[in-house]
Amino acid sequence: MLGKQKNKRRRSLYLLLGIGACIFLMVQCSSSKRDSDSGDLTYIPYQPQPFTLQESDRFVKMQIPADNPLTEQGITLGRQLFFDPILSADSTQSCASCHQPDKAFTDGLSKSKGVHKLEGRRSAMSLVNVGYFYKGLFWDGRVPSLEAQALIPVEDSLEMGNTWEVVEKRLRQHPDYPSLFRQAFGSTCTDSIDRFLVAKAIAQYERTLVSYNAPYDQVMRGEAVFTVAEKRGFDIFFDASSSLPVSECGHCHLDPLFTNLDFLNNGIQKVGTLDNFPDKGRGAITGVYYDNGQFRVPSLRNIELTAPYMHDGRFKTLEAVIDHYASGGHFAENLNPNVRKLHLSARDKADLIAFLRTLTDTSGRIVPVLENPL
Amino acid sequence: MKKLLVLGLISLFLMAADCHKEDVDPNDNSITLTFKGKYDTEPLVMFADEYSYEEGMNVKFQLFQFYISKIELVQNNNAGVEKVTPLSDVELVSFKGIVDPAEAQQGISFTYKDLPDGTFSHIRFGLGLTPELNATNPSDYTPPHPLDDHYWSAALGYVFTKIEGNVDFDGDGEYTNEGKITFHAGKDNLYKEVSFPIDWDIEDGHVGPINFVVDLKKVLSNGPTDFLDFRDITQDHTNNPEVYETISNRLKTALRLE
Repeated sequence: MLGKQKNKRRRSLYLLLGIGACIFLMVQCSSSKRDSDSGDLTYIPYQPQPFTLQESDRFVKMQIPADNPLTEQGITLGRQLFFDPILSADSTQSCASCHQPDKAFTDGLSKSKGVHKLEGRRSAMSLVNVGYFYKGLFWDGRVPSLEAQALIPVEDSLEMGNTWEVVEKRLRQHPDYPSLFRQAFGSTCTDSIDRFLVAKAIAQYERTLVSYNAPYDQVMRGEAVFTVAEKRGFDIFFDASSSLPVSECGHCHLDPLFTNLDFLNNGIQKVGTLDNFPDKGRGAITGVYYDNGQFRVPSLRNIELTAPYMHDGRFKTLEAVIDHYASGGHFAENLNPNVRKLHLSARDKADLIAFLRTLTDTSGRIVPVLENPL
Repeated sequence: MKKLLVLGLISLFLMAADCHKEDVDPNDNSITLTFKGKYDTEPLVMFADEYSYEEGMNVKFQLFQFYISKIELVQNNNAGVEKVTPLSDVELVSFKGIVDPAEAQQGISFTYKDLPDGTFSHIRFGLGLTPELNATNPSDYTPPHPLDDHYWSAALGYVFTKIEGNVDFDGDGEYTNEGKITFHAGKDNLYKEVSFPIDWDIEDGHVGPINFVVDLKKVLSNGPTDFLDFRDITQDHTNNPEVYETISNRLKTALRLE
């Protein structure tokens, strides 16, 4: 009888211990789930250091949004995200896949390739000096800021093919990113890491991609001189000598950014009417008939590194580009009047290209760093 | 009793309204200047509209723009002493985006606030840029700013006036690459002040829009015997004084206060 009671007590004790263990485990699971999903980050110091961008005194002043000032921590995070394929659906595609530093942040393709090797709609634009582009971004100017631009490729089915919900989840659960977001933006918990902070960080990094130390700049600063061919090319480019033919380049490719940031039809596409452009470009955004077939005037800085050329990469070489402009292009109602038949000799064309090559910045001053940090 | 109550309420309302009037900030005054483009009697519309030119030529425009600078309102006291109220250092009057008649009717507007009370006798500004402004360059400005663009570095100065478009030489309705016209004028000595007599009392409110009309045909042509002949010249980048000085001089006469 006594033995039976003992056994009963023991069983009760075991039962209680078992229940206790279960409760303990449940609490532990619940606690660890909370840490990963909405973990507190406030134990990580938030002391952002302002970053002073080195700019050319010949450039317009860069517009930096008041709610996204440059900080060392923000740029570091932005650079990490820029080179990280974590943003794409199958983790194969980063921003840098199409914007490669050694190609002046282009990819060498006529049309960029995204996830699953899908071909995009247009050629990747250079990001050099993109922080100064205030008249809208992309070839068609569809977004007003780098912060707005950075939101788009992630969900473009031909680029990263992902959703922001997936990206946000990945970043919140990542072993390193929560800490970087905390340091850059003061995120208090992992749940507060979102697409808008990702865009802000990438925008900060992109604003540091400044180039102003090409041989051209050194000549302008009086630190170097053009060769004879480069000087001839300069004069032809800017229509600066009455004894040389004009090329009309400088109307749209204004010094010092070598773009006026406008949108125009440069006559590369033969069309019957303005409705017939296979890619309507700016017109698809504004809905204005006369904007059809207009595309952003790209900067010519580092142009030697950004082949192939035009929004659809149709010209493989600078020689082909100059031949196009010399021909006057295809007429259309909105063909820019500065695109007109030119009278350039073979030497004139060669000298123009010699000048264009002076815009290649190999000084490594596309700051702060170019290399993939991963 | 009821009537007394109503009277009382009305009195209170009037008192409140009167108090409100006294509270008006004297710097609430503002003025709007509007520039409307015309081609002869027609509204100036880019791209779409075709205009008759001289000698049977027709023309369509893609761009017409010019800088105005040192924009000022002038008061004269009885002793003839000027009191000047600056409105703006510089504006770009650009008809580039005007692609339908409704936009042309609306024109390009600039509004200036915080003006002092007073009776103003003149408004004046310069066509083009003052030499001081023309000595600056885009790096001196934070975009968007009228002077963040249209700088011609080879000439170390801005292009004051741009006219671009297409010419149909024989009026047969066919436009080709050969008919492209681009006239760009910019040089210190092309800066010209214009002054328009006005009689504006500015007090406690908004004046305007004040409409300026600029007739592009008058910029290009002074009649059938004195016009810029596109058959001979389709382009000038401030190289040929006969062309750029003519355009700059005529711009002055093509502008009027409506």
